[in-house]
Amino acid sequence: MIERFGLASDHFGHLNGPLVLLAMLGLPLLLGLLGGALRPARSWPVALLGLLPLSALIWLAAAVAGGPSQSWTLELGSLVLHWRVNGLVLVLLLLTQLIVLVSALYAPTYLRDVVHATRRSQAWFWPLLGLLAASLSLIWLAADLLLLYIGLELMGLTAVGLLLLPGKADALIAGLRYLLLALVGSLAFLLGVALLLGAWGRLDLAGLAQVADEGIVLWVAMALLSAGLLLKAAAFPLHAWLAPVHASAWIPISALHAGLVIKASFFIALQLWLVLVPAAAVAASLVGVMAGAAVVWGGLMAWRAAKLKDVVAWSTVSQLGYLLLAFPLLVGSDPAVAALAWDGTWLQLAAHGLAKAAMFFATGNLILATGESRVEGLAGASRRFPLALLSFGIAAISLVGLPPSMGFTAKWLLLHAALAGDHWGWLAVLAIGTLLSAAYVFRVFRYSFVEDAPTLDFRPVPWGMDTIALVLALAALLLGLVAEWPLALLRGPGGGA
Amino acid sequence: MPPFQEMLLVAVLLLLAALTLFDRQLMRACSWFVAFALMVALAWARLGLIWLALLEATLGAALTGAFLFHALGATLHFRRPRGFFTRWHDSVDLTWWRALARLLPALAVLGMLGLALSALGVSPTRALRPAGLGLLGLGLWAFALHRHLLRRLLAFNVIGTGIFLILMSLAGEGAVVAGQGLVGTGLVVALLGTALGALLIRRLEGLAPPHHVIPAKGDGVS
Repeated sequence: MIERFGLASDHFGHLNGPLVLLAMLGLPLLLGLLGGALRPARSWPVALLGLLPLSALIWLAAAVAGGPSQSWTLELGSLVLHWRVNGLVLVLLLLTQLIVLVSALYAPTYLRDVVHATRRSQAWFWPLLGLLAASLSLIWLAADLLLLYIGLELMGLTAVGLLLLPGKADALIAGLRYLLLALVGSLAFLLGVALLLGAWGRLDLAGLAQVADEGIVLWVAMALLSAGLLLKAAAFPLHAWLAPVHASAWIPISALHAGLVIKASFFIALQLWLVLVPAAAVAASLVGVMAGAAVVWGGLMAWRAAKLKDVVAWSTVSQLGYLLLAFPLLVGSDPAVAALAWDGTWLQLAAHGLAKAAMFFATGNLILATGESRVEGLAGASRRFPLALLSFGIAAISLVGLPPSMGFTAKWLLLHAALAGDHWGWLAVLAIGTLLSAAYVFRVFRYSFVEDAPTLDFRPVPWGMDTIALVLALAALLLGLVAEWPLALLRGPGGGA
Repeated sequence: MPPFQEMLLVAVLLLLAALTLFDRQLMRACSWFVAFALMVALAWARLGLIWLALLEATLGAALTGAFLFHALGATLHFRRPRGFFTRWHDSVDLTWWRALARLLPALAVLGMLGLALSALGVSPTRALRPAGLGLLGLGLWAFALHRHLLRRLLAFNVIGTGIFLILMSLAGEGAVVAGQGLVGTGLVVALLGTALGALLIRRLEGLAPPHHVIPAKGDGVS
């Protein structure tokens, strides 16, 4: 599994490490600062500048894709920092850049026309967005625990800052709870790292994987690390903070948070498990039980939720359950099962990221148009806003996992993995989850197709915002047809095999 | 450093932490915290970790303290706290049973950690580890006990310090640089977290209409 994460390679290849870091971490930050200074009122300058990091990424992909994974170190005095890039990292970087870019495109109109953001909160929004993109890239590229800790903290604090921007009392209170939870999670993570450092005297993952031997120290360290990370990832018993946080946040920030921020904690947790305790099947099936509970409970709560944003937020809890199934399917399972589950997990991560972001944008458009945040307020929406509802529907197809969407391909692979490993329990979880997600999605549609609705005064949605939601939803749908391409990146020589 | 001085340092650290966490008056608790952070800086300096001592003194004591007092609404010209959290004492009625029940999670973490640490064997860096464990336990207990936001921030800072002490006591010869990197990051995070919390308290206070202040309970204390 170490090879799959690109950690085992001694390939200090032809890649210019500092340049990669400058392009992946420095560029978003710079653009964020620029945005904060200029406060763009239209989308086209954002699109123009947003192409810069994307083209830098394409340059990186051309240098890395298809080849072996590349790793390099950065020395600051006597401190050595480890980095790596491989196919998986490329996929994650691409996902990050896409969702951040789309959120940035959605933001100018949204901030100006919908929430009437103050100049001050606009001036904060852009640098924080750049910082979030940089910290996510840092997490994907990092190959030692110090860098992961820095990235995790940077991301957590930036996310809290972004959630506070609306400045309303309920946003502040939700942000406060999130802040305390994030801080507690980071303390648990740091304690776990301290134990690993104390026991083996090193922090680079590749080195730890070789020297770490099972024992009480490793188990306690992993328990602490996992607890901190799963708290931040809103895994099942630790998920209660998620819905209130989304209820009051701005739409592009919700999209980023559900699409990327939560996934980063999950990514770190899975990476640590597969690198440090690759054979811990019993503990992993414990996480699997949590995953099953998350799928069912999140689905039920989404089905019962009164507010539209709560439906989407609870569905995140449920969909994260699918991702957590990666633990029992990948940790300590036989290679054939693990190969299928590996592909399925990362596809599910990407599919959910795109679909959930699209769904949040569509939800934002619907809430803007009806002026109602309740699901019942959608009555009659099918006639008035076919486009917003269409984007919601297309995103839902991927979320529920109907063909030909990317979500379908991902769930198909996970299903195969569960079948191949004779894990009937996880199979049942997948089936129930699909039924529940269909139920809560169709509940939204049932209200929108109510014909004898009282005519409320509807607001028009700016066409740009509608287009963005639709394009992103279509991407989640149609990427299922070309899933071979990301899969090739994940499996290829760069991703190990 | 001779054992007696070391024991004294540990005892003073634990005492200051306990005062920080359990003093009923918030202004005093925050002042105790500044003293505590300075003491920690002294401990780092005695271990020869000058950089950490400087960081702790500036970030931990000076800046974090400033933000805590800012949250209370106290300034140089206006010493008495006037923020709306200052007169708000914890609304939970604490019985011994409840306090003990909330002690359990702290004890569970400590037990787990103790097992792991005993497996790691004795470290050459002496009394740091029991001090760190003690701070961790006190902080966790206070975090579980209090609902008050500022008290939770204080508890978070104390837990963080405990973890830093354990971390540096664990970091062997070759790992001191990495340990310093981790602790440095942790200090910055603790400062930013406290600052965000303090600014939030002020914003919430600004948003709440004057008659809507959370009622003070048992303000006869002081």
